[in-house]
Amino acid sequence: METWKERILQFLFPAGSDTWLAVLRLGLGLQVVLYALSLLNDWNYLFAATGSGLVSRNLGEAILALESPFVPRLGWLIALGAHVGLGEETVLSAAWICLLAAGCGLIAGLFCRCSAILAWFLHLCAAKSGAFVSYGVDNFMTIGLFYLMLSLLPDRFSVDRRWRKLRAKDRQWSRRAPGDMDGRAVRPSERERASQLLGFYRRVLQVHMCLIYFFGGITKCLGSGWWNGANIWRALTRPPFDIVPPEILVRWKYFLPVLGLSICLIETGYPVFIWLKKTRMIWLICVLGMHIAIGLTMGMYLFALIMIILNAAAFGPGVSGTESKGSAVARRRPASV
Amino acid sequence: MRQKSVYLACFVLHFLLIITISCRDMLWLVAHKLTILPSPFSLLAEKVESIPSVALGRNLAASNLVRRALLTYLHIAGIERGYGYFAPNVPESYKLVFELHYPDGRVEYQLPRVNRAAAGLRVAGLLDEIGRTRYDPLREYMVKMLASSTWRENPDVTMIRAVFGSISLPSISEFEHGKRESYEFLYAYDFSRTDEATELETP
Repeated sequence: METWKERILQFLFPAGSDTWLAVLRLGLGLQVVLYALSLLNDWNYLFAATGSGLVSRNLGEAILALESPFVPRLGWLIALGAHVGLGEETVLSAAWICLLAAGCGLIAGLFCRCSAILAWFLHLCAAKSGAFVSYGVDNFMTIGLFYLMLSLLPDRFSVDRRWRKLRAKDRQWSRRAPGDMDGRAVRPSERERASQLLGFYRRVLQVHMCLIYFFGGITKCLGSGWWNGANIWRALTRPPFDIVPPEILVRWKYFLPVLGLSICLIETGYPVFIWLKKTRMIWLICVLGMHIAIGLTMGMYLFALIMIILNAAAFGPGVSGTESKGSAVARRRPASV
Repeated sequence: MRQKSVYLACFVLHFLLIITISCRDMLWLVAHKLTILPSPFSLLAEKVESIPSVALGRNLAASNLVRRALLTYLHIAGIERGYGYFAPNVPESYKLVFELHYPDGRVEYQLPRVNRAAAGLRVAGLLDEIGRTRYDPLREYMVKMLASSTWRENPDVTMIRAVFGSISLPSISEFEHGKRESYEFLYAYDFSRTDEATELETP
């Protein structure tokens, strides 16, 4: 029993470097910036209330309030702005600027934690208030930003760490009782504790990715259209994803069933083959290739990018079996007290 | 060690929620016979479908604090829905066309408009949402919202007829035989200056 517990803890708290966190921060920063820029001319139109927007923000927020009144929404910011005499348009524009600034902050690694929290909050507000105009990309951005916000920021590549000499705080970790290793009392150093905690957050992201693909893959396997290529055809000819002319697709019609089956295999097999050292690299390449293809052939660039970022952060660093200098600390045994 | 246990507990709870939600979505698909599984599986799924919903507090009153806390967490963590995108099958696509009637008898046709392609994807999602909704007043309200935005761009218009339909896509073999995508009428609404909508026809 004890061995099992130890094994689980060893799996969940592996010592590792913060390279994955840097990938996640940079990637999500880029994603947030591109998300904001892609909605530059439509932001106010999409999220305005009744009377001035495409579809009323109030409707989405009213339905959300039925589920829970505590989920962040743009209506809160607009109500707050109204108290200080700011109009809806001004508050929405300010929210967009802040979101863009938060994305830039994440890319640079400046005020990492604040930028991550701000990006998560503002994006969540937009995604929830505009629930009717949100899709998969918003879901995955929320997931990524939620984990980033909770992780041990700043990472060693950030401006915060390099110029402002800030280190990731480790307050939440035990400093009270020493642990026990090989019959000796040991107290891991702060760096080692931080390294294990970083490993934990990476494991959370990794396990989440496995569940995403496993359930996505299993559900696809339950549809007949993924076995005979019909769903690939439908997905690529369905407006507004019909970027590739159907005349070209018809030429590749014998290839479509193979493609459909490959997607089922890649997604369902992800939780197994991404962990095996021998297949990790090939599986990661296949998944990244799949998302690049989705982006290019269906025009879902933001969706493709967020999936690439999450995969690259979760399983990218160390995929070739080599670890960066920063993880050397992690591999050392905890110092004896 | 104690802190590790706390992290472990959070980990287990977080992923139990994700698994429960994913199972709930999958069971719903099986129960509604949307998969290739034979009918005994559908009957079984129908029976057990409620278990994940109960686990997620869906049977509790809407005002229940536990339910609200749980739903809040699901939303802020981005785990409130499953991951069956384009699964088990690619859903239908919908189209909304506005027929703009001018005082001089002129009629123009327009689609809901946004400035960029990224927002266009979101509008397509909105149309899917309208198409999927089974609650008529909500569908009408959403179409009315879209019509209002078109009206603001075309203030001279006296009446807008919103025609909502699904796009029927041909299969590969049908396409090879010359069949192309077609527009299947579903609903039509007339909006006049009084903002009173009249549903013309439903299938």
